[in-house]
Amino acid sequence: MGLSTSTLPFKERIAKAASDQFAHGSIAKAQDVQYDKRETARAELGHWEDWRKLGQSIRQHVLNYLPDYLEEFSDNVDKRGGNVFFAQTTEEANDFILDIIKQQKGQHVVKSKSMVTSELGLDEKIDALPDVSVLETDLAEFILEEDDWDEPSHIVFPAIHKNRDQVQEIFKKIGYQGDNDPKRMARFARKYLREQFLAADIGITGCNFAIADSGLINLDTNEGNADLADSIPKTQIVVMGMERLVPSMKEAEILDNMLARSAVGQKLTTYVTFEGQKTAQESDGPENFYVVILDNNRSRALGTEFQEILQCIRCGACLNVCPVYRQIGGHGYGSLYPGPVGAVLSPILGGYEQFGELPYASSLCAACTETCPVLIPLHNLLIKHREVETDRLKMMHGFNDFQMRVVGMGTRSPFMFKMALRFKHFGLGPWTHHRPVTATNFFAYNGAMITNGPGMVGGWTDVRDLPAPPKHHDDFRVWFKQHKKGGNPQ
Amino acid sequence: MKVSIFTTCMMDLMFPQVGQDMVEVLERLGCTVDVPSNQICCGQPTFNSGYVKASWSVMHNQIDALSAIDCDYIVCPAGSCTAILKEYPQLLVDDPTDPNGTYMKQAKILSAKIYEFSQFIWRVLGIADCGATLTDTATYHRSCHMTRLLGERETPFWLLQHVKGLEMRHLPGIQYCCGFGGTFSVKEHEISELMVTSKVQHIEETGAHILISCDPGCLMNIGGRFNRLGKAIKIMHLAQVLNHDVDESRIKKVSEVAAPAPAPFP
Amino acid sequence: MTIQNREKFLNHLAERLNQPRHQLADHPYQQVNDLPQQTLKDKTAAELFSLAKKNSEALPVSFYETTLADLPQLLTDYIEKSGGGPVLLPTSERFNDFNLTTWQKEIAANQAVTYWRPDASREENLKVAETANISISFADFLLAESGTITVSSSPGQGRALHFLPTHYLSIVPRSRIVPRSTQAVAWYEKERAAGRLDSSAIHFITGPSNSGDIEMQLVTGVHGPLDVAYVVVND
Repeated sequence: MGLSTSTLPFKERIAKAASDQFAHGSIAKAQDVQYDKRETARAELGHWEDWRKLGQSIRQHVLNYLPDYLEEFSDNVDKRGGNVFFAQTTEEANDFILDIIKQQKGQHVVKSKSMVTSELGLDEKIDALPDVSVLETDLAEFILEEDDWDEPSHIVFPAIHKNRDQVQEIFKKIGYQGDNDPKRMARFARKYLREQFLAADIGITGCNFAIADSGLINLDTNEGNADLADSIPKTQIVVMGMERLVPSMKEAEILDNMLARSAVGQKLTTYVTFEGQKTAQESDGPENFYVVILDNNRSRALGTEFQEILQCIRCGACLNVCPVYRQIGGHGYGSLYPGPVGAVLSPILGGYEQFGELPYASSLCAACTETCPVLIPLHNLLIKHREVETDRLKMMHGFNDFQMRVVGMGTRSPFMFKMALRFKHFGLGPWTHHRPVTATNFFAYNGAMITNGPGMVGGWTDVRDLPAPPKHHDDFRVWFKQHKKGGNPQ
Repeated sequence: MKVSIFTTCMMDLMFPQVGQDMVEVLERLGCTVDVPSNQICCGQPTFNSGYVKASWSVMHNQIDALSAIDCDYIVCPAGSCTAILKEYPQLLVDDPTDPNGTYMKQAKILSAKIYEFSQFIWRVLGIADCGATLTDTATYHRSCHMTRLLGERETPFWLLQHVKGLEMRHLPGIQYCCGFGGTFSVKEHEISELMVTSKVQHIEETGAHILISCDPGCLMNIGGRFNRLGKAIKIMHLAQVLNHDVDESRIKKVSEVAAPAPAPFP
Repeated sequence: MTIQNREKFLNHLAERLNQPRHQLADHPYQQVNDLPQQTLKDKTAAELFSLAKKNSEALPVSFYETTLADLPQLLTDYIEKSGGGPVLLPTSERFNDFNLTTWQKEIAANQAVTYWRPDASREENLKVAETANISISFADFLLAESGTITVSSSPGQGRALHFLPTHYLSIVPRSRIVPRSTQAVAWYEKERAAGRLDSSAIHFITGPSNSGDIEMQLVTGVHGPLDVAYVVVND
């Protein structure tokens, strides 16, 4: 699949998302449920604003010294007997991973949830190898895989757009005979996946945090699938974005606490694991341990105004508060990374040509900035993207450049603005219609509303009525002049 | 106390009566009010759309205009515009057209003087009850920028508690944006429509007759959607509420009323 | 083993950052506040115990408090209640610490008992873990704030022992109840630095495996144990 999850143009994706009533309702419900859980968990911890500063300081420090931490981490993996591969591109990463699978004569690959492997489009590539099977073991990703590799729509809850009836239908195809009770369906998945786990020879996991001073990786899950993937198979391949580093377990532990509270409203996820290459005396755990560290254009953000986006710990809280995500869901964004974080990250990883619309898919309400546990100024980064697109790249993206320049002129020249104030009522005259006024107390001159305005006003009046602006003699400035003279003009 | 009104382009263009009510309330509370004549707009329409270069001169004009009249405070009828003016010193850090830092210096002075209307009344004038009466049911829409960028989530609620006869109803989903977002509402009108429709539903759930807010942009958006759907609502800016049917003998200071509870989460 | 493509990769990053490599020695990370250390610091041992109990039971975890003398009977009862063997036990010195050596013999006489054995192969140990109805582990800590037990892997107590059996019980001394993950991590780091701990895996386990992936309805036992019990032994 890779970074892009849709071939439809942006506006068509929005229309499609808008028409999916179930997904719509389930996302709104999920946001509301998560809202209470998250805020309660944070309040319980206390001093949340100071925790955020702590989390931010760890992430910023690591990014500022990223080459040193990556060097330390890879040295320590090496010391434990593991292997590290630095991949600049998705191709390099995929080639390396497929080579390992062939080298180890892997036949059954089990995977635990990893955004980065989705970014690589790794599953399809493994699936295409002769005599090798690949299985996603996170319940949500398993559901998507069995639904002919449906696209994930959330970074923490990938199958949030599916309801229980849809899951039941999907499971029927692999032998499920029960009803749509989530518990029964989860038991079925457990049994099905357990058999596959026991036969697995290669486990692929993601990595929440990589511990520089020990060469261990830190995994947070609720299901425990990552733990089976790193216990049973002889070979473990860890795939991580290059920015996942922390200095030591101490900092990982701090971020684990903040991640769990932000992502799912828990104090800690059910399983918080620190693990690496097994020791010679231990019998389970990976005896062949590989870490693939991926750049894939993350370095474009480094040293720029966008560096802060690499602080992200993938908690998904910004998706869970976002009013746009609430309406269009993950699929509306058309990127593996949806929501506010995705709108900032996707153009960096995949370029403006493909993802240039995303920074505009925000009302800049700043709910994302307000909730981010590591203080990423998300809405400001969206504005910075817009600046790059308009001022530096001169991209149009459907935005009416000429009209915006007129707005620019109108708002910087007092003369032009006063002219506009004088003539605005007449300027919009041709589009002004008498129409029943149900929203009262608008100025709405003579009860008239503009219902199909020209140019950018048309974007407005596609959705809403616009009250006809007041005539000049009713303007505030005119009134104020009279008022100052001692008489009210009414 | 000398107060300059930062009118905002939205109020100038669409909501003249909000300015009148604001002036009358402020004068009643003892302020000497003036309106700097060359002011236009804070620069958000272009800045937030990414036309940053085009925005420097908009901000410069605003700084010049607001600095032209000597005043103790600048008061604004829009939380969003207030927030952006407060942010001017940060925004102008990257301004290549202000090499000597003249505008930066002025921006810092203005930034310290500016208040949104409701916070000015409560936090600066120290007035809790403006003596207004409005016998009706209402709900309050909190604007995102006023709440999150300006950080003001309390004063409108506190002032509304003292409006005689007014029954306030909690707005479900109060934390969600109404879908205005400036140029977002026209550029991404498909998404904006979904958002404002959801807001209309939430407002209807309260059963309130009046929708109150401290941001004309949100009011224009939500009110316009109500009208398009043919649904009834009365939209009011807080200034219109506080200037409604006023009994001056009832005006009370913050120190004369019970300390209000902090605004409930969120 | 091997590290590939490192120099080019890291030099590129240093170039992007516009800063030479190897600056870290002079700029180590300094925690900007001590919230992790301060949180719950002032709780007494009794308060931490009740907090641990409350938070564990909320997960839900069956929470038992017992004495050394009563521990054997509690374990026997637990095994019977959970449907009996096969019971998987770790190979551990800690059976001595908890006076359980006699119990080990007794339980083996009444139930099918297997051991995670240091001398067994991966396949053998996984097989006993997979077929076990119940496994019992020794935990290093119980975290009061979150109701979490922490365990570290060893040749006698492997990783899968905690994940494959249907029912899971972990034993922890009362003196090992600490406020939160901060203290447990500090201990693990200290032990590793001193060369006293050679574990390839440290697990923080907070109740039974669960998932909210279907309509966000929480279901337990997706991959790991279906239910979890903690036994706090007064010491």
